[in-house]
Amino acid sequence: MPRAPRASGSSRRPRAQARTPRDSAGPRSPEAPARTLDARRIEAAAPRFQIFIVDPGWNSPAHRVLRENFGMVRNLAKGDPIYVLSREKSIAFALSQPSLIGKGPAIIVHDLAALREGGATGFHGFRLHLGLLRTEQQALLALQSFTRFLATHRQSVDLEAEIRRDLRREGIIGAIEIIMHHESREIGA
Amino acid sequence: MPERWSDYLAIFMSALAVGYMVYEIDRRRRNLHDVFDVLGGEDAELTAGLVGMVESGELQPYAGATLA
Repeated sequence: MPRAPRASGSSRRPRAQARTPRDSAGPRSPEAPARTLDARRIEAAAPRFQIFIVDPGWNSPAHRVLRENFGMVRNLAKGDPIYVLSREKSIAFALSQPSLIGKGPAIIVHDLAALREGGATGFHGFRLHLGLLRTEQQALLALQSFTRFLATHRQSVDLEAEIRRDLRREGIIGAIEIIMHHESREIGA
Repeated sequence: MPERWSDYLAIFMSALAVGYMVYEIDRRRRNLHDVFDVLGGEDAELTAGLVGMVESGELQPYAGATLA
């Protein structure tokens, strides 16, 4: 599981803000700074992510962990809307997307900034197939890492690059662990 | 060229160890990507399905504190 990089980019401008029209086109009116401030407040309040939980209801450790810790995930997801598909809808959805079968519960996160910018043709979010984890401990660690990842990357300007960098780093750390004969950490056992 | 059979054995064992490491690293990388990965163009259909459910009002933000 990718962990939050030390500098999570919180000091950088979010992508949505970067697209805000600059007020340098014309002469500045006294209301201009106030309007810019309002726009920033609205952007800050707008959700960055859309979270979907697809759980067909396999009797698995991951299913139990998600049920028991959902409240915590919801509290930590701040203002991002969480959509929970019912068991019937999850099964119907998994049937329409057979690649999901056996991997649920799945948590699918849409990056609204990326979706607005480039649609679904390129990078537009990330997903966690919790159902692939065999033990409750693995599932809980993954869920915690995932929630931390959401929280620390909310203001990220280039989320895709950060995720790929983290995955690459995990790969390098995993390689070192293999060489050192250590057990794998968190996910990927 | 190695002169003793033990040298050949050492080379063979080293190659085996390197091969195992490459295999194991690749296996773990694939496992990691199976569990956690980014959504790209190949997931467009999946995304369209979920977005469609939200836009049609079939899905509403979950307000409950626990999962039923």
